Amino acid sequence: MRRCKAGTGCKGMQVQSKRVKVIPGSEDIFAPESSSGARGGVIALPPGQSPSAGFVERVCLPKLRSAQNGDGGWGYRPGSESRVEPTCWVLQALLNVAGMEVSSEACRRGLRFLRSAQLPDGSWPFAAGQQVGCSVTAPACWALLSGESSFQAVAAGLSWLSQDRPRDSVFWRRWLGRLSPARHRSRKNSAYRGWGWNPCTSSWVEPTAVALLVLSRCPKELLPAGANQRRQSAEAMLYDRMCPGGGWNCGDPLVYGVPGKPLVIPTAWALLALRRYPQRTENLVSLDWLERKLPDEQGPGSLALAQICLGAYGHKWPATAKSPEDLYSNHEFLGSTTTMAWVCLAANSRRSWLTGESGETLR
Amino acid sequence: MTRDRKTALFPSFQRPVSRVAIRSVASYEQDLLALIYETLCEFDLPIRGKNVLLKPNLVGPDPLGVTNTHPAVIAASRESLLRLGAAQVLIAEGPALDRDTEAILESIGLRHYAGPLSKVFVDLNVDDVEKVLLKTTASRLSELYLPKTVLSADFVISMPKLKTHHWAGVTLSLKNMFGIVPGGCYGWPKNILHWAGIDSAVLDINAAVRPDFAIVDGIVGMQGNGPIQGESKNSGVLILGDDPVAVDATCCRVMGLLPAKVKYLAQAGILLGHIHPDKIQQLGESIASVRTPFSVLDNFKQLVHTSAAFGTQPALVG
Repeated sequence: MRRCKAGTGCKGMQVQSKRVKVIPGSEDIFAPESSSGARGGVIALPPGQSPSAGFVERVCLPKLRSAQNGDGGWGYRPGSESRVEPTCWVLQALLNVAGMEVSSEACRRGLRFLRSAQLPDGSWPFAAGQQVGCSVTAPACWALLSGESSFQAVAAGLSWLSQDRPRDSVFWRRWLGRLSPARHRSRKNSAYRGWGWNPCTSSWVEPTAVALLVLSRCPKELLPAGANQRRQSAEAMLYDRMCPGGGWNCGDPLVYGVPGKPLVIPTAWALLALRRYPQRTENLVSLDWLERKLPDEQGPGSLALAQICLGAYGHKWPATAKSPEDLYSNHEFLGSTTTMAWVCLAANSRRSWLTGESGETLR
Repeated sequence: MTRDRKTALFPSFQRPVSRVAIRSVASYEQDLLALIYETLCEFDLPIRGKNVLLKPNLVGPDPLGVTNTHPAVIAASRESLLRLGAAQVLIAEGPALDRDTEAILESIGLRHYAGPLSKVFVDLNVDDVEKVLLKTTASRLSELYLPKTVLSADFVISMPKLKTHHWAGVTLSLKNMFGIVPGGCYGWPKNILHWAGIDSAVLDINAAVRPDFAIVDGIVGMQGNGPIQGESKNSGVLILGDDPVAVDATCCRVMGLLPAKVKYLAQAGILLGHIHPDKIQQLGESIASVRTPFSVLDNFKQLVHTSAAFGTQPALVG
């Protein structure tokens, strides 16, 4: 077995590069249309604008490799218990930046951990022992798209995602909301349905954006029925939740008439999820906000995701902004494996993990 | 290694009188270490050789120092506790809205006050967790996954900012404990708590992990549309006490608000501590001498004290 270069290998689809073919409909449907009308492709950061490869090679990747637990997963910090979310991002980093093969021992064990953590209903929980699935189902599906023997696991996860309906978008809930004295608190249109962090709660920006990205990466044959409608509603939800003036916070753009302050991480995720509309005003003002914000930004995770985002839009990294590497000496990223994985992915100018490399998939 | 918190729940009438100290502090440039150390000495805290956990309120990037517990207060408290013999004093928080905790720490400059944070600060959002069956049923949550760092601490100190809250009325040492619920299990924000009912969730969380002590940063607070979009309010106090309910009740009185009208606080007064002034021994300044009326949103106007004894009425906004 060889590693699927497109990161879309699945059970029953033999992973051999010679047999790679493009399946119609499996292309990156969220990829921006260029002026020539061509979709997507690999978008590279301008040379020298990403964190130095040396830093990633010297610091991040060795730490990530050594932080793998005996059960194959990674914790949020080295030495902590394996969790689904950091395992997903570390696997993406190892597969797409470190150049490790899916068949390598570390990746096989990591993917096996993910498969073993899946709940019977197809979802993944935040932590071991939890019996209810949650938003990490999306990054788990995303990571498993790279793996072998994961077809059923991914299909079950996507099916769960398609059926997970935030409670705030349910009709009777919205009807009750119109009668509530608290109806003026916020400006949100709850008719738009995204995804929440936990089932039976509200739609929020980050889980919605990551779920959209996963749907955009999936081969068509894996998409559950109704995925298109769900995707359109989720995109509308993201636009509805944009802060006045651009950018996103967690998903409350206006509370009691006061505009919410955007944050870098939700803004980066939302822009990535909406990148097939690069000329929409909302995208443009949000990109503008992000670029103006970055020189003041002091969080390495925020900077890494912003680098990925600006790279995906073909924008240059602001000259006055720091790189995550610059911040490492402050707190060593607080030991966060997720942050290190994002820093690795930001350093990689090839965005195949994000774009699906022009929609290649495997038979 | 989870500590059995047997002291958390029993009827307030069985509890001894609580002690709350109010200290006037003009600014964050004052010698906070001396002031906090002297005040803590008065309480004779059982912390020698113990692992102490400070839980400040760090909500988001806050260059103006209005939203978050000020780093000077955090650092002075930590140093005081070490001087009093604590074996270890960790600073721990799980910010609710921004998952880039390091961005928040840098925006407030905590390392410039407390030194390198990699071994001192714990991001509770991504800590290892343990299932805790809730002892109370105010919310519909029967269990929560909570950070092991909090559960294993010998002594927990809640360190909120003195603020009004647009959904809960006030956010003080009890509401501050929302921050121990990990985003790594419940997201950013911890929306499951909102759906369970904020007031109810505050009660259940504090019944599960009742803070042993509280230090409230009221040097600069926030009024109106708190906890993040309100206006700064110079109130010039630090409020410390051995009962988080009594501390919050005292804070309300300092803010010109009625503690018994704050839903969760009134209920906390049944099982978690005292809100009645007769059961609170006041140390330091009197409430009247430091009272600074805070404005509240219209939907919390019932919290505003209307007694003439309160002097100037707090303004309503919204």
